[in-house]
Amino acid sequence: MSDDKETQQKKGTEHPISLIIDEVVSIFSGMGFEVATGPELEDEWHNFDALNVSKDHPARDMQDTFFIKGNSLDASAQVLGGSQPDHSQKHARESFVLRTHTSGVQIRYMEQLVKDGKKPPFAIVVPGKVFRNESTDAGHEMQFFQLEGLMIGKDINVANLKYVLTEFFKKFLGEDAEIRLRPSFFPFVEPGFEVDVKHNGKWMELLGAGMVHPNVIKNCGLDPKEWQGFAFGFGIDRLTIVKFGIPDIRLFYQGDLRLNQF
Amino acid sequence: MKISYNWLKWYVPEIPEAEKLADIFTMHLCEVEDIEKKDDDSIFDLKILPDRAHDLLSHNGIARELAGQLGITFNDPTPKYKIPESKPTNLKIELQTENCRRYSGRIVRNIKVGPSPEWVKMHLESIGQRSINNIVDATNITMYDCGQPCHAFDLDKLVSEKLIVRYAKAGEKITTLDNKEVELKESDMVIADENNVLAIAGVKGGKIAEVDENTKNILIEVANFDPVSVRKTSRKMSIITDSSKRFENDLTPELCSFAMVELSGLLVEFGFTDFEDVVDIYKNKQQERKVTFSVSLVNQKLGADISADEIEKILKQHNYVYTRTGEDFEITPSAMRLDLNIPEDMVEEIGRVYGYDKVTPQAPKIDFIPSTNETFTKIMYARNKLLSEGYNEVMTYSFCNKGKVQVLASASDKKYLRENLNDGLKDSINLNNLNMPFLGLDAVKIFEIGTVFLKDMEEIHVAYGTKKEIKEMTLDEYCKDASPEIFSERSSDFLAMLGQTVSENTSGSTNQVFKMWSLYPFIARDIALWADENVSPESIQNIIKENAGELLVKEPRLFDTFKKEGKISYAFRLVFQSKDKTLTDEEVSIPMTKITEKLVSMGFEIR
Repeated sequence: MSDDKETQQKKGTEHPISLIIDEVVSIFSGMGFEVATGPELEDEWHNFDALNVSKDHPARDMQDTFFIKGNSLDASAQVLGGSQPDHSQKHARESFVLRTHTSGVQIRYMEQLVKDGKKPPFAIVVPGKVFRNESTDAGHEMQFFQLEGLMIGKDINVANLKYVLTEFFKKFLGEDAEIRLRPSFFPFVEPGFEVDVKHNGKWMELLGAGMVHPNVIKNCGLDPKEWQGFAFGFGIDRLTIVKFGIPDIRLFYQGDLRLNQF
Repeated sequence: MKISYNWLKWYVPEIPEAEKLADIFTMHLCEVEDIEKKDDDSIFDLKILPDRAHDLLSHNGIARELAGQLGITFNDPTPKYKIPESKPTNLKIELQTENCRRYSGRIVRNIKVGPSPEWVKMHLESIGQRSINNIVDATNITMYDCGQPCHAFDLDKLVSEKLIVRYAKAGEKITTLDNKEVELKESDMVIADENNVLAIAGVKGGKIAEVDENTKNILIEVANFDPVSVRKTSRKMSIITDSSKRFENDLTPELCSFAMVELSGLLVEFGFTDFEDVVDIYKNKQQERKVTFSVSLVNQKLGADISADEIEKILKQHNYVYTRTGEDFEITPSAMRLDLNIPEDMVEEIGRVYGYDKVTPQAPKIDFIPSTNETFTKIMYARNKLLSEGYNEVMTYSFCNKGKVQVLASASDKKYLRENLNDGLKDSINLNNLNMPFLGLDAVKIFEIGTVFLKDMEEIHVAYGTKKEIKEMTLDEYCKDASPEIFSERSSDFLAMLGQTVSENTSGSTNQVFKMWSLYPFIARDIALWADENVSPESIQNIIKENAGELLVKEPRLFDTFKKEGKISYAFRLVFQSKDKTLTDEEVSIPMTKITEKLVSMGFEIR
């Protein structure tokens, strides 16, 4: 009996962030969302301008950006390793940043849709790593994971957003989960919300959300009079911390297997 | 922005008590970062949203907003300020740049610098500001009250009664009020007399024309500067002031008129009445805007059923200038509401006041068939395969000490982006090797899937291995032997793969709680014994656990078993660790002795 135990291949342990990404994506897939991905090094158009974050506007200060030195990426640059269309975007000779959010993939997805001659409706979620240039502490890291959601159609509205997020958190945290929207501001949505989630009797601020700003839809080549919808985004690391009670975000990127407890 | 409850009450006497007000702010306006009780006052620290910085970085603005929100009276302070008749002036103001969008200046003579009245000191101190003297305090009160930054120069320190707003010449310098010498660049807008730079426009005043205890005559400035210009200068100099913060968020030049009345009125209240005429240079007047929207747009965006009458009530309460034609509205936003430009902005206005909590959740109906994402599916495929081969997943930093791609101005000393996963995995293996007994592993087998940054591209890599060898390749390369259908657009394997990991690992995981490890080193000890063949290893494990005490932090791990002459040998590895100190050998020998004695007393033979 013990011999079997020794020779049989024991399954490896998974990183808690991966577990949560799998679970979150699985819930959204069940609600009809498609997964989309995009590059971590992003041009300023996709990370800022197309998202209605204009140059020199204080809104760009809301995120501390890692800018890339020089034009180290030349015009022939492209993303390899995942060979789907939204990854083969040619990098033009302009300034690049480490993406500060996964919202740039909204733009990439819609640009591709228009290029392929297709139209909404669609619903996507975008899991991915993002970067912020700020000093680190138990709640802040220079790198972390985000998940972005985007649903566009003829009449996708705030009531639909509330439904999708409520369903998600009921599945993710338990039937007692509730959400509430508070007014907020992000340049790429109007109206914009901060979303609090009630779990175990406590409100936690977990997401940003809103109705996609008409300028964003227009910037992708779609008519904002015809199409509307919502977007939301949250930190996967934060959800992982909430779900498992992990005390410090910095534990995630130490390569320490003591983290893999689940 | 710090807001005093008592200050607000001047304008909106009917506001509810502080706790209730905090809820109203939170649900209908912005986040309340803090409420501080100060004597009989409550100070709210409000996180004003960037799109409302035009009008809400002021008590006046917040009061007006609350009056609209709650349908209560707003006491307009304007009639309160009685300005005496002013004398003709010789003041000249020359604007050499259009980035000064308005400049109002006024000379006030025969003033006396001294302490401020008590209410002024109290107001300033309540929001964490220091009272300096009556003149400076008057400019600050005006700013925190109506949002318009103001400045006062000592008139007699100017070379003549002429002010020039221009861009600095290369090499010009200014010593700021806090005694810092700043070298100016041609991109910095300044206020100057005919010889000297007196202030960095919209950012900070200078020492040369500082108001001091001997000042007799002053020149007050109420001006409006281009947000981008102020922002660039302020960032470049790293001088961020209450003034620069307001200007960089774009203030309406229209606000200058009220601020000049308020500032003048305060000076009158302080006993100074020798006023000269205001010189007001305001060439390009802010144009009136119209925003039109319909009831159906509001409901279509919110998914609500708000009636035209309800919308009209909200507009009326907020003192909007509007016309209604059936179900359509046309509003003329007040000059300060620079955030209202498109119909969607009015959807937010209505929704925020109406209350998002009144919007009933509704399942979306869309006709959409999701495709499979190749990259994400490949990552999942690779992860599942490596896990099944016994590799453990890690994530390491994308930042490192060397590489082809460098980031600018990092808060960290690691300024490059990784060009491989290999280096990170090596460090991870070394770290985990030290913890093998703790982890219950005989060998460290790990992997990472992540993006690396080469000279002109980024690639997703897969790396896996042990201390002996790490293999690294692109994700595509790793997945090349898999059947391509798995990754195709209409693959059904995606959900199956996802479902597998989720159900195996996280179902019911809400009850699982992370156990933080101790930061002190652990000590591992082995114990081996002979037992009768019918004794299960679990029963021995239990005896060990019952006698080990609280320093035993891991389940005793059976790592060796063999049979000989009707007996069976079991070997267990025990890991001891303290939460608050480094254990000594002696401290570990106490539970070890206890376990050994217990096992011997039960007839086991310790090897």
